[in-house]
Amino acid sequence: MTAMLGTSSLLSIEALTGGVFLLTALGTVAARQLLACFRLFVLQSFLLSVSAALLGVALHSPHLLAVAAITLATKTMLIPWLLRRTVHDEVYRIREIDQVLNIPSSLLLALALTGAAYVFTDSLGAVGVPAYSFVNLPIGIATLLLGAFTLTVRREAVAQLLALLVAENGVFFAGITIVPDLPAIAELAAAVDIPVYTLVIGLLTRRIHSEIGTTMVGRLVALKEE
Amino acid sequence: MLPHIGYNLLQVAVVIGFAPLLEGILSRLKEIVQSKCGPSVFQPYRDLAKLLCKDEIVSRESSWLFRAAPYVAFTAPIFVTLLIPVLTGYPLFFAFMGDMLGAGFILALGGFFVALAAVDTANPYGPMGASRTRMVGFLTEPVFLIVFMTISLVAGSTIPYVVQKEWVISPAAFFAPWHVLLLLAFLLLILAEDGRLPVDSVSGHFELAMIEKSKSLEYSGRGAALMKWAGAMKLFVLMVVFLNVLVTPWGLAVSTAPVEVLLAVPYVLFKMLLFLLVLVAIESSLAKLRLFRISEFTGAAFVIAVVAMVSRLFAA
Amino acid sequence: MVLAAVLLVPVVASLLTLAMGTQHRRGLLTVLAMASVLALSLAAARSTLAKDQISTAGGWLACDGLGALILVLVAFVSFTAALFSAGYLAQRHPHEESGWHSAYYPLFNLFVASMLAVPLMANVALLWVALELTTLLSAFLVGFEATPEALEAAWKYALLTTLGAIIALLGVLILYWGTRVAGKEVFTWNELITDAPAMPPALIWPAFLLILIGFGTKVGLVPMHTWLPDAHSQAPAPICALLSGVETSTALYVILRLYAVLSRVPGSEAEPWFLVFGVLSVGVATILLVQVRDYKRMFAFSTVEHMGIILLAVGLGSADARFAAAYQITAHALAKSFCFFASGIVVLVLGEQRIAAVHGLARRAPIAAVPLIAGALAITGMPPSAIFASELLILKAGLARGEYLVTGFLALFIVVGFAAIMRHATRMSFGAGPLGRWPGVVPGTCLAALAITAAPLVILGLSMPTALVGLLQLAGTAMGR
Repeated sequence: MTAMLGTSSLLSIEALTGGVFLLTALGTVAARQLLACFRLFVLQSFLLSVSAALLGVALHSPHLLAVAAITLATKTMLIPWLLRRTVHDEVYRIREIDQVLNIPSSLLLALALTGAAYVFTDSLGAVGVPAYSFVNLPIGIATLLLGAFTLTVRREAVAQLLALLVAENGVFFAGITIVPDLPAIAELAAAVDIPVYTLVIGLLTRRIHSEIGTTMVGRLVALKEE
Repeated sequence: MLPHIGYNLLQVAVVIGFAPLLEGILSRLKEIVQSKCGPSVFQPYRDLAKLLCKDEIVSRESSWLFRAAPYVAFTAPIFVTLLIPVLTGYPLFFAFMGDMLGAGFILALGGFFVALAAVDTANPYGPMGASRTRMVGFLTEPVFLIVFMTISLVAGSTIPYVVQKEWVISPAAFFAPWHVLLLLAFLLLILAEDGRLPVDSVSGHFELAMIEKSKSLEYSGRGAALMKWAGAMKLFVLMVVFLNVLVTPWGLAVSTAPVEVLLAVPYVLFKMLLFLLVLVAIESSLAKLRLFRISEFTGAAFVIAVVAMVSRLFAA
Repeated sequence: MVLAAVLLVPVVASLLTLAMGTQHRRGLLTVLAMASVLALSLAAARSTLAKDQISTAGGWLACDGLGALILVLVAFVSFTAALFSAGYLAQRHPHEESGWHSAYYPLFNLFVASMLAVPLMANVALLWVALELTTLLSAFLVGFEATPEALEAAWKYALLTTLGAIIALLGVLILYWGTRVAGKEVFTWNELITDAPAMPPALIWPAFLLILIGFGTKVGLVPMHTWLPDAHSQAPAPICALLSGVETSTALYVILRLYAVLSRVPGSEAEPWFLVFGVLSVGVATILLVQVRDYKRMFAFSTVEHMGIILLAVGLGSADARFAAAYQITAHALAKSFCFFASGIVVLVLGEQRIAAVHGLARRAPIAAVPLIAGALAITGMPPSAIFASELLILKAGLARGEYLVTGFLALFIVVGFAAIMRHATRMSFGAGPLGRWPGVVPGTCLAALAITAAPLVILGLSMPTALVGLLQLAGTAMGR
């Protein structure tokens, strides 16, 4: 494949993936409906795996190919399956997401966060970052920030979980370019960890739903300082 | 020199000639999606012919503005056509008369006159549509500026021919993340600017909900034909900028050989057909936004455009 | 070998408890398992003391002074918590043996295993995995009571600490990038410390900040502490003891390790970060202590305060201060688990967590009031509690470093914290109660857990065994330059 396309064109296509990846991250901030949010997450995970695969071929790194395969298996298949099993109704029935902040304001904040990610990456310029890192690193960090931000403003359990997974995608998107040869054991461990936390939080959601009758965790305000 | 002027005129002819066809194809495609058996793709031509033959009725209360507006609206896209690469990849005679911003101003001038004319009629729906169009305009124009500035950061110019060359020559710039973001921002702008779903429903017949169409309700005969034609040409021109400059800058004539220039016509039309498929998909799957959510829509375009600019600025 | 055994025992115990039929047997087995874990970790600490550092399993598991200290503390509190659980569960949930409740001991064992793994993992990436597992495995334990409040607490806990872990993951990856830039392959703490001068500071600093914020969430540093009082007040008492006593310290462990790396970077200025976060945590926690209305929540805020004190002590930057910090970690683990055991007994007596609902506890149930007052005194640093000695050492180190402002604030906040906690505790204990004497009996294992925790707490406040001094010194060295 490298011979066919050449490293530089592989990296160009990878950059294109980066652009779409950032779009999906912005999309999750702007999405009003949970199902749309969920689909954007799956698309984003797919893009992450495509990006890892392209980089893996371009840089001759079997580790990245493994990351691509693991991501594809866990995030685009296993996690959607787990969510469907544990919180099917929450994903497919609740239509609109309840949010503390309205969408235009959150988009403006998202803009500021993305800018911050770029400024931050710019400060790493002295390290001798390869060009492809300059594509992935800010986009990944921006996605991490956007995910964390979305998590804090959403009031719905599954929406918060999705935001968490988006943040996590961002870390991996940045990570694949800066550590192309992280020991395989860590990848595997992370691959186990992520479905586990999806499962744990999914089950917790279900438990909350069955005990309290809603997954609007924003309404759970018994515990606070007076 | 002379062939350049000739090709410039040919471009104008292509825009004037094929704009109604594209509109016909668009509505035909939508009907196919909706499982209707609608009229043929040439229906807009028949409509135009019919309207041109009819008498024109003009309200006694209206002024010269009302009569002048269709002509201004009709000529604005023609002037824009002189500035943009419709068929050739090399600059033609008038290419350096204005850049993309200039093209935007010319289109805005047409829109301005139409809005004035709509107010001039004293029909209650006209001013409503005009004010709504202005609202959408106010929301989209800053985004247009940001998009053009980001483009000029990449290409060092906002002359559409130069930009088009830049994307062709440098695949790295073409595949860069900000390019995708710009494309999406521009697409959203086209939807808003041309009154497409989810901003405005082209096929709606409910005057209170109209944005774009209510401005031409008072026109009849030749005026109505020109307004309709102008609308089709505006979409055509926007699509040319979007496709030939930003998305698929390939396939334009590179030499002055007439055959090559003529061959570019079907090629460009084919690209537009593909784009129409996307447009149909968008229009068939989205519902119209409430008026006050339009600001969210353009806000999204704004955010995407600024993100594109930020990522371009920091990609040293 | 012993290090692998430490991890293996609770995992096996978890599988065995899964197979058992009654809560009583599960509890018994867990207590036995925890006792052997404690013995094994003491053995590990002993050989660490002799050799400075031990490693096994091809270098994947390693243990130095700081690791051994955390290991022993986790093992000790796990043992007492297992002991406490046996009586506590039998009394509070007497007839609930199946379903949700049967998962308690298997999860307890796995949770302990994950906490034991944190100080033993040599590879930083695996350490991240272990720390993330501590959250996941304890989330259900936090929500064990299955009341809306408990589930809310579990939800916040799982979500926010996982978000923290994800932020920290980016930090870990950037740290690994740094080692790669420095030309190394192995990603262990030892390598990091040796390579620190060769790593670009432009990478170490973002990594440090991301890890400080990420794992700081799990430690409960202000302003990332919002989940902590909820989780630490809603979980069953023995789980609270584990969470507050040692789980926070295992997360803090990573930040302390990072300090050792940072202090080797030329021209590094890590101390201000530690001081600022430390003072902020101590200050905010103290202010919140004054207004608290739930006695378990009160001890939870006290945990935030103590984490701040430890961070601040490390930030003072002297060897004495680091020794005192290690001492404070030890004292806090003992005192805080004691406090939560005591409040567990109060819950058994009253079934109520609001301070305002409790009056005249000393008359109604002296068996609950005495530990409560003793715990409040111990955690606020009344001699002969070990907390007194450790806080005194920290204040001394602060004055010796000339950090008068920070030390002054620390002293002030300690005094205010003391006043606040004692006010709440005395209000609950003394005065006329509405009811007569409590007819029930506190389970023997609960009292045993209290006694076992109290003994070292007092002994360490009076005199320190040489072995412990050696371990604390080793731990201090592992943190510092």
